[in-house]
Amino acid sequence: MGVLSARFLRFALLVCTLGGLYFLAVQKHEDRDRMRLSAVELTPTCKAKLDAYGLSAGSTYRSPYLVRVSGMAPVMEGYSEEDVRAIQRGCNIIDDLQGFMAQGGNAERWNAQRFVRGSHTTCTHCHQDAGDKQDAEGNRLKGSNNLGASWVMADMYDRFTGLILSHELRQMQCYINSSNGFKPNISDDLLRDVTAYSRFIAAALDLKIGNRYPEQGMDEIPAAATGRRGDDYVRGAFIYRERCASCHGPQGFGLVADGRVVYPAVAGRNSFSLDSRMNFAAVNTIMPGFICRNMPPGAEGSLDGQQCRDIAYFLSTLPRPAGDLQGPLAAVWQQLMMIVMPPLTAYADSLQRGDLSRAPH
Amino acid sequence: MNTFSGAIPQGLAALRGNLLVGLTLAVVTLPQAIAFSTTLAGLPPHFGIYAAIWGVLFTALLNPSRVFSGGPNTTMSAAVGITLLPVAPQFGSDYIGYALTLILLAGLVQMLFVLVRPLGRMLDLINEPIVNGLICGIGVFLIFKSLTSFGGLPINTQVEWPLWIAWQSFLAVLEIGNLYAIQIGMITLVTSLAVRQVARLRNWAILVGVAAGTAYSEYLSATVGLQNTLIEQIANLSYVGFVLPSMPLFSQEAMADIIAILPGAVTLALLGLFQTVAAMRRMNRKMGSFTDSRRGIFADAVSNCVLPFLSSLPTCASFNRMWLIHSLGGNGRLASAASAVILLVLVLFLAQWIAIIPMPAMAAVIMLLGANMINWEDIKPHFKDRRESIVFLASFLSVLFLDLFGAVIVGSVLAIAYSKWEQAHPNISLSGNQLKIRGNLYYGSLPMIEAMYHRAIAREGSVVIDFSECFYIDREGIRWLKAAKEAQQAALTDRRRLDDRREVERRAASDGKRRTGRRRDKPDRRQRSEF
Repeated sequence: MGVLSARFLRFALLVCTLGGLYFLAVQKHEDRDRMRLSAVELTPTCKAKLDAYGLSAGSTYRSPYLVRVSGMAPVMEGYSEEDVRAIQRGCNIIDDLQGFMAQGGNAERWNAQRFVRGSHTTCTHCHQDAGDKQDAEGNRLKGSNNLGASWVMADMYDRFTGLILSHELRQMQCYINSSNGFKPNISDDLLRDVTAYSRFIAAALDLKIGNRYPEQGMDEIPAAATGRRGDDYVRGAFIYRERCASCHGPQGFGLVADGRVVYPAVAGRNSFSLDSRMNFAAVNTIMPGFICRNMPPGAEGSLDGQQCRDIAYFLSTLPRPAGDLQGPLAAVWQQLMMIVMPPLTAYADSLQRGDLSRAPH
Repeated sequence: MNTFSGAIPQGLAALRGNLLVGLTLAVVTLPQAIAFSTTLAGLPPHFGIYAAIWGVLFTALLNPSRVFSGGPNTTMSAAVGITLLPVAPQFGSDYIGYALTLILLAGLVQMLFVLVRPLGRMLDLINEPIVNGLICGIGVFLIFKSLTSFGGLPINTQVEWPLWIAWQSFLAVLEIGNLYAIQIGMITLVTSLAVRQVARLRNWAILVGVAAGTAYSEYLSATVGLQNTLIEQIANLSYVGFVLPSMPLFSQEAMADIIAILPGAVTLALLGLFQTVAAMRRMNRKMGSFTDSRRGIFADAVSNCVLPFLSSLPTCASFNRMWLIHSLGGNGRLASAASAVILLVLVLFLAQWIAIIPMPAMAAVIMLLGANMINWEDIKPHFKDRRESIVFLASFLSVLFLDLFGAVIVGSVLAIAYSKWEQAHPNISLSGNQLKIRGNLYYGSLPMIEAMYHRAIAREGSVVIDFSECFYIDREGIRWLKAAKEAQQAALTDRRRLDDRREVERRAASDGKRRTGRRRDKPDRRQRSEF
């Protein structure tokens, strides 16, 4: 009898646990529905951008960008209230992945941060200006990783793996690599919202599916395009100190003020992972291209190809977190380096400065 | 031994009994086989069904054990999926080609274990805590892995740290899971659990659960509509029954990927062999009989070399099914063969019914099987010994923290380390200047013995080494003994020699035969065993 009742108790406990989990799931679903129905509070960048593009619910949509640039614009099918909220949420995620600017319990980014690991990196650091960087005249800028331009190139072959990549899969790679985080499920709202935003930009800019636009990726700088002097660590370190360290910090740890990332980290724990597409050791032409096109802000184009390659080479030697695919040993080694290297390099720098100050002028 | 002995039952009654066991086995295996191929291996459902038909038939014919039953296996199916995820997109034609190549390679590796005897002997070093640790770890892993299908979510296409992915999947199911899918999964789970409480229906629990889940899914389809519920079904089984011949992929372009999946093939082979050997060992012990586990390895190797050409999952022995046959009083070989034929007939006539089974119900089946793999009764004894518990935990955690290949490597290294550790720590006692060694005197144990020896020399000036109770001395041990003797600080005693001589002489006298010519420098194993 005792055995029977114990078994019954165990069964009852199991069923209660399952029932509890089911009701928890129902609760979470309802929460999520409520969040998706509530109005989105936009970040300043997103507000300016979406206002400029005239995003509002309605039966038709006509892009103000196209009207301004060409004087005419095709009339497109409009967006529903739900579409508008999805696009707004997508823009918020791109501009402020970490939720630093979110108010009211950052409800609209209800699960973005879960996938980002100890990082201050936001999408907009690579996808410049919330994924749509333009100059003062409203021209789209080359090599700024425009999200609309990458959306129209979605479902193309990935040149690294040879697989067909959907826009959602690409975003999953961004979570793993560029933000050194974890991969959301492919059907997650997070990915759908960002896709909605990217698609909206493509529509607003009237980009055509399958076309390759210059602002889509980064124009790479191969060694052949430089003076073929070879990439140099010392030169890179020197240029970095001259041109980059004032923002990214002497150790590359970036600048965070008032809980907001002012300048992103390019080294250390908060930086992107070694698995990133920006892994200079593997793809040593992409990062120089990015630097030449987008850095330093306000003085873009002031660095020549060789300088960009040197900086990228120097950055590739700084310790960053290992990606999940590199295995536990690499992860432990990188963690160790991130602890050991900064004080060592700081000490070496101080020695050098001391020597320089003692040197006769 | 005649390979086919035991296949012929005694009388018609036994035949009927075995047919009934075969029917039970077929019905129990069917939902599992489908779940293995769809949710775990990422292959079409007929792969699992063919493994349950042809795989079971081959292994039944090739293994002479009266209780042996091979067939599709949870762990091996999961290993197929895990190995291939980074190589090709699931359910595509390339994926199937790679899967067949992987299974064939695993079969060839297993064949190596049959042909190279010492390799096969290595499997005997794998002890129970390691196998149990692997099985428990994989059980936990399977429960987590089936979460996404349980919640009706697409499966993630890259493999990272399994525990973190499991947690993410759990949260994803809570937040964005398809509620209809969750309901179907829950109904399958609860029904199976409820039916399991009735001892007589225990073996049918999964089938009843799947039936309940399917019935609910059909109800939902009728009321809400399949286009609104978005429930994935098994579907498309119409052609099963005819063998779909298939060819592993060995093209020039695929070579890079095939090399990449080689460690996976070794893992697959080893996982199968570990389980076969462990299951046969356990069955031998439970039944008090003995069948050489090499027979099982042979059956596995041959069937896994043939099955890829028949569109089938890999097979290995299944302890659960073997125990089921035994408890129902069946003759393993005939019952297995009967189950294969009955399953073939069932699938031929019930394909349309099988096609409507929803995937969340299949995921629930995997969860139940994963939970079944964690058997506290099997694990408990390991925690009574510190060393065994460490080995068990290391093996268990390595599945959860490393990938399966890493876990298998850790398991093998642990097994060798464990056996060497046993040998390397002889029981040495030092009383006065008497150094008594019990256990093995060989290169592994010498450092410990030497340490003790030098301590005795330092303290006493001389030492008497008593190695009467050494069972084995290797060349290095002999060299050391010789050096110790030559240093004139040690005297060697071997009391056994005197005893041996007396015993042998006593026997020789009683036999009327002279054995005095035997050399006794090296103790003889046969003589020792008689003392």
